[in-house]
Amino acid sequence: MQQQLTAWMRRRIKPAEEITLNRRNIYVLPTRNGLLFILSAALIFIAAINYAVSLAFGLAFMMVSLFVLSILYTFNNLNQVTLRRLPVRPVYSGESIAYNVELSRSPSRRHESLELCFDRGVVTPGDLLDVDRVQLQVFTPATQRGYLSAPLLRISTCFPLGLCRAWSVVDLDMHCLVYPKPIAFVMSQFNAGGGGSEDSALLRDGSEEFYGLRDYVPGDPLRQVAWKNVARGQGMHVKQFVDYVDSRVWLDWDMFFGFDVEGRLSRLCYCVLQLSRQQAAFGMKLPGVEIKPATGIEHRDALLRELALFQIERRGLAGSE
Amino acid sequence: MSKVADYQIPRSALGWMLLSVLLVMLPQSLHMPFWVTFLTLVCIAWRWLIFTGVAAYPGRLLRIAIVVFTMTLSVSQMRSSGIGLDSAASLLALGFVFKLIEMRHKRDVYVVISLCFIMAMVNFLYSQSVVATIYTAIVIIVITCAMLALNRSHLHPVGRGNLRLATVMALQALPLTIVLFVMFPRIAPLWAVPMQNSSGTTGVSDEMTPGDLAQLGRSSELAFRVQFEDSLAPLHQDLYWRGLVLEDFDGQTWRRTRRGSSYSEAASLNDFRWNWEDRVRLGSQALRYNVIIEPSNQPWLYGLHLAQPLNRELYQSRNFEIFNNGVISKRSSYDLISYRGSATDLILLDSARRRTTNLPGRGNEQSVAFAERLRAGVQSDRDYVYAVLAHFQQNEFYYTLNPALLGEQRVDDFLFNTRQGFCEHYASSFAFLMRAVGIPARVVVGYQGAEYNPYEDYMMVYQYNAHAWNEVWLEGEGWVRFDPTAAVSPERIEQGVEAALADDPAFREQSLFSAARLGSLGWVNALRLRLDAIEYEWNRRVVNYDEDVQSDFLANVLGDVTDQKVLFVLIALAFVATGAIALTVISSEPRSRRSVADSLYYQFGKELDKISLGRQRGETPLRYRDRVCAAKPELAQLVTEATRCYMELNYHTGVRKQDSAGQESTTYGSNTDSLAEFRKVLTQLRFKLLPFGRLRREA
Repeated sequence: MQQQLTAWMRRRIKPAEEITLNRRNIYVLPTRNGLLFILSAALIFIAAINYAVSLAFGLAFMMVSLFVLSILYTFNNLNQVTLRRLPVRPVYSGESIAYNVELSRSPSRRHESLELCFDRGVVTPGDLLDVDRVQLQVFTPATQRGYLSAPLLRISTCFPLGLCRAWSVVDLDMHCLVYPKPIAFVMSQFNAGGGGSEDSALLRDGSEEFYGLRDYVPGDPLRQVAWKNVARGQGMHVKQFVDYVDSRVWLDWDMFFGFDVEGRLSRLCYCVLQLSRQQAAFGMKLPGVEIKPATGIEHRDALLRELALFQIERRGLAGSE
Repeated sequence: MSKVADYQIPRSALGWMLLSVLLVMLPQSLHMPFWVTFLTLVCIAWRWLIFTGVAAYPGRLLRIAIVVFTMTLSVSQMRSSGIGLDSAASLLALGFVFKLIEMRHKRDVYVVISLCFIMAMVNFLYSQSVVATIYTAIVIIVITCAMLALNRSHLHPVGRGNLRLATVMALQALPLTIVLFVMFPRIAPLWAVPMQNSSGTTGVSDEMTPGDLAQLGRSSELAFRVQFEDSLAPLHQDLYWRGLVLEDFDGQTWRRTRRGSSYSEAASLNDFRWNWEDRVRLGSQALRYNVIIEPSNQPWLYGLHLAQPLNRELYQSRNFEIFNNGVISKRSSYDLISYRGSATDLILLDSARRRTTNLPGRGNEQSVAFAERLRAGVQSDRDYVYAVLAHFQQNEFYYTLNPALLGEQRVDDFLFNTRQGFCEHYASSFAFLMRAVGIPARVVVGYQGAEYNPYEDYMMVYQYNAHAWNEVWLEGEGWVRFDPTAAVSPERIEQGVEAALADDPAFREQSLFSAARLGSLGWVNALRLRLDAIEYEWNRRVVNYDEDVQSDFLANVLGDVTDQKVLFVLIALAFVATGAIALTVISSEPRSRRSVADSLYYQFGKELDKISLGRQRGETPLRYRDRVCAAKPELAQLVTEATRCYMELNYHTGVRKQDSAGQESTTYGSNTDSLAEFRKVLTQLRFKLLPFGRLRREA
């Protein structure tokens, strides 16, 4: 039943970058509080019949009218709101994806107490009162790596009386690139990487020499975090110990022989993050993919992207961010 | 919605909520025991203290204690005053206010809101006056405010315009309410409900003991209103509103002959089944009129003699009294036809004669002797009646509302000793004197007189119009009305009790702000009559709108009424009303928001027009800016700034920047900032162009 409904909704809802809500895609149903309100109106009506109190009829009818009015108001509160997708930052698997959604209105309208959420997810409140557009973040967990499509986005409101809820389900065709979850380990196997011709240093964990502090990267072992700095409110940093070794490194699929696919990807991801932080030049070999050593943020992102999409069909990625 | 646990009802919502509870309980405090009112105030204060953090929610033990306490009190109250409206209302009120202190979540607030509406309904059971209706309208608006405040975005914690929006919504809800009120089919009560309330009985009593206090005579409460159909109202001295006939006399008290225990079973009593035609010779003049009676908590009704009820629920007794089936616990309306000049009981049955000539065996010997002496001196019963009236008239009898108390031999004491009293004394002794010589006589209690309201052409009868008079049976004439009070104080009958007692300090004191007192002030009196006319119309048209009135009304408007037709019209009208409201709701958008930036830009163009640099039709803001900058380089900075503000407000041209990760993002200046800046720039521009403006105006 639930699946059929979802399938029906999926069929009905056309994905688009920007959607303006109108009577075709807004639904209104009474809330539990609204049903309670109607129930008490019915009670008053029955009492009015039995005691033959004319004005109690009036009171019951007034409540019914207020309820009807609240349907109109609640619908109007959602009517003509425009939702537009904004670029999304890639995240690591296991984190929350923050989809950026922009709400806008025509200048003559006001919208209050709007709520955005994904299916049973955390609700993000928003308003369009003094501003014509507002940017909201709606969260959903990144359950697996790859190029994740956002679930259907639900925008709803109970304003003004809370007696009924107007909602709409839209598909903004949002996707998010999810990198594998980095898994920290001791990177000792890098020391015999290349020919040793260059003198640049490659940082290596587990050495004796204290090198300095660097920003915390998800997946870093917690015992290396410089907690004193955290306590001083200077942010999360990790203590680094280094050895000076050859910097030309190749990350290889076969380096993590014995792990399953996801295990290998997670460890490679950690290596990529660590190495790029050290601004080392490094390349990567995956089955069917080979990327030449280089440095820089673009290089890192390209590698992470390869890891994220490894053995995943890449259809329909043309419109990616 | 996982954070229900630490949900805190917003401050403004709680404030409105507590206010609506207070307002809805206020009229109840008149009917309920004082401790319910006290607990209401305690609970309201407690809930507020919970919000401020001073007090805590009640614990489990306390809640159980409260439930036990409420049950005990309610049961004890029901045992003392019966399961009636009052006890039910107090129980409801208690549950209602106790719910208040454990109002934690949004759901609880809606339970309290629903109970607020139900309490408002209970208030209508007690009063449906214009004032009560206006009050309830205000309560509805306040409750709507509470709902609004509850659903306002918590991103903008300051509750703005709640009251205004609630009022607008209430007004918008009105058309549909009226359509439903008029058109929705009214249904007769599904089951009979006892409507007891403790507010004491008013109106005349079925017992009369002359010499007790005369409370009734002074109250300026309204008893009933009367409207004659063809406005051929009788003269003031003919307005004897007959209530009850008292036949039993025990030497002190006159009582109505009661058969059976209760009046509410009137319909089933033999007393009310008899053949009208055999005992009545109808008069020629028929008067049709409608009476709207205030709640008296008694079953008997009032009408001019000889009245025939037109409503199904009314019954007539052997003595032509009119009874409602059940006590009058709320304002009710009934129709009567009175045949003036009718005669009843031309042949008096022996049983009736025995009843109406019966006197206690001993007592008041002086009066009996006086009666026999007087009767011996005249020819007929009729002459004897006139002789007694003349006796009252010619001797020193006084009409007063606070007479001396009477001794054991009440009639003797009054006739030969105190000689001062009001209608009850005269009616009682008159009937005694009749019976003493074997003439059938009885006491009738009811009202005499009325005040005419010219605004809506009806009459108002007050409690101080209460009166007692006599009916004497004469051969060939049947029962004839005599009023001994009229013999003593003719103005009491001709002009009303106000005139008769204008100088009586006791009467004036009691009715300090009453009709009788204010009657002397012209405009105040007019206002009072006008207000009562509104109340009367409200009652006739709205409060009395029941199934009969509805079907009459619909038949008038729609012609022949069928259920389908009514249903169709109801649905059609409801759709029209809802559609009309929908148009106002869905296009009711504050327009000022749109025009702020535009109007500022328009003013900007106007300012520059002073130096002949107005914006041309269809010119884009950027091109306009360039043209002005080229023409007036010294204004370039201001003009550029103003254009930037306008563009930002209208087109959201933000400032683009790149963050460390290489992601491009656009930050928008907040609108309020841009608006303020725009205004500042415009002011500067105005200041600079001030000389030009002046020059122009001078030229």
